[in-house]
Amino acid sequence: MIFYNGQRYDTKQQGELLDRLESELNEILTHGTPPLPRTIIDACESLATKALSGLFNEELAGLGFEVGPMAQRIEEAASIMRKESLEAKVLEELGPEYLASDIPSPASMSPAPRRVLTPPYDHGRTLTKQRVPLGVLFHIAAGNVDGLPAFSVMEGLLAGNINILKLPSADNGLSLRMLEELVKEAPELAPYVYVFDTPSDDLPAILRMAGFADGIVVWGGEGAVETIRKFAPPGVKLIEWGHKLSFAYVTEQGITDENLASLAHHIIETRQLLCSSCQTVFLDVDLSDDGMDNTPDSSPAMSKLVEFCERFLPILEDAVAKSTPLDIGSTAQVTLRLYTQTLEGHAGHFGRRIFRGRGCSITLCEEGSPELSPQFGNVLVKPLPRKRLLPALREKKSFLQTAGLLCGSDEREELSQLLFRAGIIRVTGPGSMSHTTALDAHDGEYPLIRYTRIVETRD
Amino acid sequence: MGTRRKLFTWKDMYDTAGTEALFTSAMRDNCTFQYEHCPEYKQLLDGMGFHPSQLQTPEDLGKLPPIPTTYLKAHTLFSMDQKKLPIKATSSGTRGKKSEIGLDWGAVFSGASMILKVGRYFRFFSLTPHNYLVMGYEPHKSNKTAVAQTATGYTHMTPILHREYVLKYGPDGYYVDFDGIIKALDRFSRSKFPTRFMGFPAYTWFLMEKLKEQNLRFPLPKGSKIYLGGGWKQFYKEQVDKRDFYALAKDRFDIDESNVVESFGAVEHPIWYSDCNNHHFHVPVYSRVIIRDVNTLEPLPYGQIGLVNLLTPMVYACPLLSIMTDDLGILHEPGSCSCGVDSPWLEIIGRVGMVDIKTCAAGADDLRKGAAL
Repeated sequence: MIFYNGQRYDTKQQGELLDRLESELNEILTHGTPPLPRTIIDACESLATKALSGLFNEELAGLGFEVGPMAQRIEEAASIMRKESLEAKVLEELGPEYLASDIPSPASMSPAPRRVLTPPYDHGRTLTKQRVPLGVLFHIAAGNVDGLPAFSVMEGLLAGNINILKLPSADNGLSLRMLEELVKEAPELAPYVYVFDTPSDDLPAILRMAGFADGIVVWGGEGAVETIRKFAPPGVKLIEWGHKLSFAYVTEQGITDENLASLAHHIIETRQLLCSSCQTVFLDVDLSDDGMDNTPDSSPAMSKLVEFCERFLPILEDAVAKSTPLDIGSTAQVTLRLYTQTLEGHAGHFGRRIFRGRGCSITLCEEGSPELSPQFGNVLVKPLPRKRLLPALREKKSFLQTAGLLCGSDEREELSQLLFRAGIIRVTGPGSMSHTTALDAHDGEYPLIRYTRIVETRD
Repeated sequence: MGTRRKLFTWKDMYDTAGTEALFTSAMRDNCTFQYEHCPEYKQLLDGMGFHPSQLQTPEDLGKLPPIPTTYLKAHTLFSMDQKKLPIKATSSGTRGKKSEIGLDWGAVFSGASMILKVGRYFRFFSLTPHNYLVMGYEPHKSNKTAVAQTATGYTHMTPILHREYVLKYGPDGYYVDFDGIIKALDRFSRSKFPTRFMGFPAYTWFLMEKLKEQNLRFPLPKGSKIYLGGGWKQFYKEQVDKRDFYALAKDRFDIDESNVVESFGAVEHPIWYSDCNNHHFHVPVYSRVIIRDVNTLEPLPYGQIGLVNLLTPMVYACPLLSIMTDDLGILHEPGSCSCGVDSPWLEIIGRVGMVDIKTCAAGADDLRKGAAL
C-alpha cells in the first residue's frame, strides 16, 4: 500500500506516482508554506490520545503483541508524541523562537524566525540568518522498532520538510496507519507525506526517491543501507542513525542481584535487537594479571569470569521465564547458531565456552572488544580491565552507543567520563539502556538540527 | 558402496517403507567412509560422541549429528581429492556465503539413475520438441551456482526448439527482460509444439501479473507445462497463495493445475523432490527427512513444525549424509495424501530468523566487518 498526498494507492501504482512526484514536489516547494511546528504538535497530541484509546491495537496485534506489553508500548510511544514532549523537543533542539513563530509574519511565507547579526569587521553591514527545512527528506526506516518509520517522518515534519518514506518490509501497516491518522488530524500536512512500501531490492525506485531528496535519513538495520551508501546521488546529505553496538560495563562493586536482574530484564525485553541493547557484558577483570603458573582455566581472573557467568545465567533464565516466548523462527535461528558453534568447537574453529540456559545462553570470550551477540537472550561476557577500556573501545569508536554501568556510586562519574572519551554516547544504569524520551539525542546529535539548514541574506 | 547403488536403482522410487533397512545400511557405509576419510568430520562425530557403527536401525538415523548448511558455508569439507571429482558446485548463497561441494563418480551415476527414475515417473521426458521459457539465469561463465545450471539442464528432457531467458546477461551483468519473454510467448502460443516454463516461481508470477495488467493472454499448446524450482528467492514477500498461481496460469496460458510442477532440492542435498498431484513433496527412497525441535534439536513426530534435516547416502566426496537446513517444515505421515503415493511428504513453512528484520545492531556488525575492523 502507498500513501501519497493524503490518499491510499495500490503498490502497483508506484511507477506512475513516482512519475508525478517530482513536479508535485516542485509545486509544493514553490507555493506551499512549510507546516508549522504547532500544527504537527497538535496533530501528534490527538494521535497519541487515539493510540491510547486503542486505535492501532489491530496493527499491533498483527505484529505479535500481547495485550499487556502492547498497552505498555502504546503508553511509551504516546508519551513521546504528547504535546509537552514535542514542545520540549522543539525548544531543546531548535530554540524557543520556533515555538513562538506560530504566526508567520505577513511579509514572509516562511515561518522560520530570522536573526539579524552584525558581523565584526564588516563595516556595520547586517547578515540575516534563518534556519529553514532541508526541503525534501527521504527516510529509509528500519523494522526493528515498531512505528519508528512514522516517528522519523514526524521529526521530518517538525523541521518543516516534505517527507518520502520507504517502509521496512516488516512494518505490517502500522506506520502507514499512523501517518494516515496524522494527516486526518491536520489535512494541510497531506502534501508533506509520501509513504511507499517499496521492497529493499527495488533499487531503481529507491534511487528515484533518493534523487528527489535534499537529505536521506537512513535508520540502521534496513537492508537498503548498503545500497544507499553506494548509490546515493553525490553531494546529497546522508543522515545515518543507528548501526551502533551497546554493552554493559560491570565492576566488582556493581555485581549485585538487583543490578543483574535489571540487566537481564533489559536483555530479554529488547531481545538485543536495538542499537541500545546490551550485546556484551564487560567485566573489570584482567586476564593478563594471572601468573604464568596458572593454567588458563584455573587462574583467579578466569575463575571470576566463570563465577560471573554461573551467577548471571539463572537470573537471565528467570527473565526469560517472565517474558513472552520467542517466535519459532527466531528460536530456531538461535538454536542453529549455538549448535553450529558447538560443532565448530569440536573441530577447533571456535574456542569459546558456552553456558546454556533455558531460552538464553552466555558465551565466555577471552578477548575484550565490543561485538554483536547471537541476540535473543544470548549474551557475550568478556574481560576488560579499566586500564585497557579506552584503547579497546577506541578500536570500535564509530559503532559505540550506550553503556549500561554496573558499578559503585563512587566509581560512576570517573567511569562515565572515561566511556565518553572512548566514544560512548549515552551512559545509563543497568535496566535503562533502551529507555527513550522525547529529549533524547539520536546517536549524539539533534535530528531537528540535522533536518534543517541555515540560510543567510547579506545586505 | 554396493548399498548406495542398490538404493538408487530401487524399482519403486517412493517405497520408503520397503527400503528402511537398506537406507540405514547405505548411511552406515557412507558414514564409515566419511569418518575414515574426512578428519574434520571425524572430529565432529567424536565431539558429539557418535560413531558410525551406532547406525543399526532406522531410529538411529536421528542420532547421527546433522551438519548445518551454515557450517558448510563457513568450512569446506571434502573426503576425496577435489581435483579428481567430476562435478563441483556452489550454492546460491545469500550475503556472499556459499557452500562448496563436489560429487564423486558414484554420486553422479546415482544422481543420473535418480533423474531418469523421477523424469520417467512424472513423464517429464518427451520426444516431442518443446519451446522453453527459462525463468532464471542465462548461462554465463560468471555464474557458477547450481541453480543457474539446473534450470538450463532441465531443458534437455526433450528436444529443444527455442530457449528464451528472463534473466539475460548484458554488458552491466544480469538484467530482467520481460519484453523479450512476452515476444517469445507470442510466437510460442502460435506454435504447434508445447512450451515449458523453467525456473524461479517469483519471475513466473511477475510475468503473469504483467500479462494481466496489459490484458494479454497467450493460450499455449496442449502439453505445455510450468516447472517451478529454486525457491522464491528475494521475492518471498510476493509469495502468493498457490491457488492464485494455478488460477492465473490457467487464465493466461491455459495450463491446467496438474501441469504446474514444483521441485525442491539443495546443493547440499542433491535429491530431486518433485510434487505430486496434490502439490506435496513426497520423500523418495533416496532421501529421509527428520524434523527437529527448534529448542532441543530432538527428532519430532509427524505433523509437528521444526527444523528440516535432510539425509541421503548419495555423496561420498563430501560428508553430506545428514544436513540441517535453515528451513522450517512439517513432515506429514505416510498415507496422508490422496495422490496414491504412500511415502511421507514434506511441507516447507519458511526460513529461520525474523523475516526481513535486520536489526540495527546487526547492521553495525556488517559495517564493521565490511570495514575490516
